[in-house]
Order: sequence, then structure tokens, then C-alpha cells
Amino acid sequence: MREDLSADIVELNRDKALAAVKVRAERGEDPLAILDECRLGMSLVGERFQAGDYFLAELILSAEIFKKAVVILEPYIAKAQSPKPIGKVVLATLEGDIHDLGKNIFAIILKSKGFEVFDMGADVPPVRVLEKVRETNPDFVGFSVLITSAFDSMRQVANMFEEAGIRRQFKLMVGGGVTTPAVRDYIGADFQTTDAIEGLHYCISNMKGVCND
Amino acid sequence: MISESMTSQERVAAAIGLDKPDRVPIAILATACPFARIAHITNAQFYSDEERANEIIYKVFDDSGGWDLDLGSLVGSSILMNKAIMSLALGLRLEYPGLDLPDHYAYQAREEEVLKPEDYETIAEVGWTEFMLNDFIYRILNITPVELDDIMNAMVPIFFKGKEEWAKRGVATMYPPSPFTNHPFFRLSLGRSMVKFTEDLYYNPDMIDKALKKMTHEFIETLISGCQLFDSKVTLVVEERAGGFFYPPKIFERFWWPYTMEIVDALWSEGIVTWFHLDTSWDKNIHYFKQLPRGSAVLALDGTTNIFAAKEVLRGHLCLAGDVQAALLSIGKVEEVEAYCKKLIDEVGGDGGFILSSGCELPAAIKPDNLKAMIKTGKTYELSKK
Repeated sequence: MREDLSADIVELNRDKALAAVKVRAERGEDPLAILDECRLGMSLVGERFQAGDYFLAELILSAEIFKKAVVILEPYIAKAQSPKPIGKVVLATLEGDIHDLGKNIFAIILKSKGFEVFDMGADVPPVRVLEKVRETNPDFVGFSVLITSAFDSMRQVANMFEEAGIRRQFKLMVGGGVTTPAVRDYIGADFQTTDAIEGLHYCISNMKGVCND
Repeated sequence: MISESMTSQERVAAAIGLDKPDRVPIAILATACPFARIAHITNAQFYSDEERANEIIYKVFDDSGGWDLDLGSLVGSSILMNKAIMSLALGLRLEYPGLDLPDHYAYQAREEEVLKPEDYETIAEVGWTEFMLNDFIYRILNITPVELDDIMNAMVPIFFKGKEEWAKRGVATMYPPSPFTNHPFFRLSLGRSMVKFTEDLYYNPDMIDKALKKMTHEFIETLISGCQLFDSKVTLVVEERAGGFFYPPKIFERFWWPYTMEIVDALWSEGIVTWFHLDTSWDKNIHYFKQLPRGSAVLALDGTTNIFAAKEVLRGHLCLAGDVQAALLSIGKVEEVEAYCKKLIDEVGGDGGFILSSGCELPAAIKPDNLKAMIKTGKTYELSKK
């Protein structure tokens, strides 16, 4: 049964996978064990993506299945004890940019691996990001960007982190189609990517000792 | 340095025809934001005064040294007209500075699931244009039928005015980025939204095929009649989502490539070249374009496709364009822009078949000196070596 659910997610058998999640949760199986199987499926999708066998489309579809599975499982997980997250991530698309497709995909992939994600949405004022970081004490802060005019917003927030003396408390990541290593340096970020799985692996590699991967 | 020996029109035609022009042609695709930034005004101010906006565009043209090909700066249109035209063009809800957003914001596309699954059947039956004008536009734009009629009537004169204005400056133009130049696949993806459209492709593919078939035939007819109307031998076709960055070959080969070949073949039979505006990485798809007739298309790449590898595949077969990255033009140094443009001219344009341009449109955060550096390098680098 375990292998079936993971395999169905890998093969993008959406309806079959979600029906199985629902039936098994309703009959009282451990919701966290079911969630783990979904996570395993997502990990396997990620491996195929990295190997070049899967494309962004398959990543999106598996993420959608995972997201819907979590919605089904949430009421059951609330009754059980939630597992401790392996790390905390604040994500935002900053002021001047309302595009959030890439950020949303990255958020789901992070959650599927066991990270706690504080997704602030799009067009977020810099000061709100600072407040959120102070409130949540994350391991990572990630900015997603599609429009170049948001480069300065990202730099502004990075400077605010420096001025507040908290910049070294987390890793700062930037991602999105218009980003390059030069954009990373311009902002003073630690990491840049246009690839969600690469971003996930960066987070995992920085949480060594906490995460087994 | 020797002087130029070709007009802009001749230079662009030579590059597209895979001949070696006197120097690399330079093309510009820009919306309001870079012009407003260069003029030190807000985007809302730029949109609010069309006369001033035109003056700014032509001043940027003069100050930067000017370009050879304009890919559709919307000359002479008010903010409401601009929003309406772009809404028709992109088929999704747009938000504009001064109307829906703070004055300094770039205009933004709010991608939502506006097109519904049941709409595929309607589109397959009546075609995109009728569906758009009778139904869909009212879902994405607050407009009355009378206002829509006014806009449709005013649109063609606006495009003609733009063509005339650029012609006065010796600049070549192409069939503009009007409501009719988004590839049918891209149009459906924007309307449904990326995630929903991807689910449709995998879980309900047949209805997409039906819609694409109808849309493709309509698209070809519209492009041909549009090119005839504007006396243009090059037409824009925009596609930002069908490539290997997003989809595997099985999707590309079923839902994009056959329809695209049909489009290019039909246009080419009328002597019309297809200018593909291809955003995101197409590294995994470049070899397909080798199947198109020699000289029948231009691939304008946005800097995420490896243009140097693409050149090796398509050398002597199709013209390439673009690739000066948004990030480089926004935060790079002048000398970095110059160096990259020289590299492009040497390695991609060396034997012809290349047009220098920004990847995608000029970025909203462009540095004026970087625009000048790109244009100056394009205009002087090769000639200075002769």
C-alpha cells in the first residue's frame, strides 16, 4: 500500500492517489504515515526531475497532488501530534511584483520535505518581511522575482536585515527567471537559482544534522 | 571606421535572410516602464500623457543612437487604450500603475483561472476571436460593448501611426504585438493559468486539441490578413511556456510543434517570416526548429536559452535574436554590457543571421547607460574592425 501511494504520485495518478489518501485517513490509519508516503512520492519526483526525466510540468502536477493530499489529511493531523519541522523558511515576492507561480511551487516542495514555510504572498512591503523574520526566526529567507524593478526591493530588505543585525542568522535565497549570480551578489544573498529542486537541496544541505538527506 | 552601407530595412532583411549585413541590426521591444525610468518619471505619469510618452520614446531613440527594428512600442495610445490592447493581447487580467497599482509599479499580469474547462468546447466551435470579443474580454476587463467597439476601431489607426512614425526615423517595424500574435497554446495557458492548463494537458488533453486546431486555423488567417494590411513580411508570434523548461517532449510534440509547423508553413507560403518571441529555456527544443524551411523564422531568445549552442544547431538555417539579459541591462556595468554584446556579435552574428536585442523586452529597471552601450556596441563594433 505504501509503495502504491508513492508510485501513484510519481506517475501523477492524481485521482487514484487522492482517493487512497481519503479512504485510508477515514479508516483511521496514522495520518503522518500517509503524509510520509506522499513525501516519498515527491522525493522520487524530485529525483526524476534532477535526472532530467521529469520536467517542471511534472513537478507542478505532483505538487498539486501533494497539496490536495495535505488538505485531506490536515484535520486528522491536527488531532495527532504534528512532527517537528526540519527547518523554517520565510518566502515572499516583494513589493513591485505580484507574480508568485515559482514561489508557490517552491513552497509546496519545501513543505513536502518537512520544512515549515511562512509564505507571505506577493507584493510584500520590505518592512513586513523584517517583522516576519523577527517573529519566526527562520533558517532561510527566500525571495522570488519576475520583474527587474523588484531587485531594489530585495536589496532594500537585505540591507534592513544587516542594519537590524540579523542577516547572519539565516541563509538568504533568491530565485526566479530573471535572476542570475550577478543578481545574488547585487542583493548580497547567499544563494540563487531558477530551479526549485536545486533550492530544496540547498536548504537540505544547510540543515545537515537535522535532516537525513 | 567605415560608414554604414545599408538602410535599417535592408540590414534587418539581410540578417533574417541569413546574409551578412554591414553590421548587426538592433531590435528593441519595450513597454512603458524602461522609457519612464530613463525619463525619470513614474510609469503612471508616462501612461497618463500619450503625447509626452511619444516624445520620451523618440528622445530615448535619439539619445541612445537609435535602433533598426521596433518590435511594437505602443506609440500614441492612452493608458486605457494601452490596457485594453494588452488585455486583448495577453488574455488575462492586467493591473496598471495609476489605475490599479501605485504610480511607480510596472504593469502586472494577474494570472488566475479565468478560462474555464467548458470554454474549450466553445472556442473549438466559434474560434478564439469571437469568444474573446463576445465573452472573455468582459471577464478580464471592466469595459462595455460600446467601449470595446471604440477600442477595436481605434486600434488599427494606432498601429498605422506607430508604423508611420518609425518609418519617418528610418526604423523597420513588423506586424505589431496586437491581440492576435500570442501562440494559441500560450493563449490558453494564460487564460486557464499555468497550473490548471498543465492539469488539462495531462488529464483532459482531447478538448485542448480541439480548441488548438480551430485556433491555429484562425490564427493563420488573422496573421496573413494582418500582414497584408500592414504590408509586413515579418510577424510576431509569442510563446513563453511550451518549451522544455516547462514541458517534456511528449507534450511539446503533441500540443505545440505540429500546430507551429502548420503556422510557419502557411505564413512562409505567403512570404511571411515568423518572429518567435521565445521566453524561458528552449535548450531542449532548438533542434526541432531545424525542420522549418530555411530562413522562414527568427528565434528571439531571452537569455535563458543557450544562444551559442542554438547557433551551432541553426547556423545557416534560421536567424537568432535577443539574449542580452534583463539582469545584465538592469544591474550590470557598461563595460560588461559592451563585452557581452561583442561576444554575441562575434560568436552568434559572425556569419550573419543574428539581430542584437534584449532578452524578452527591455527590463523595467534598465540603466540608461546600459541601453546606450548595447546600441553603441551594435552600431560600431563591427564597422570599427573594417
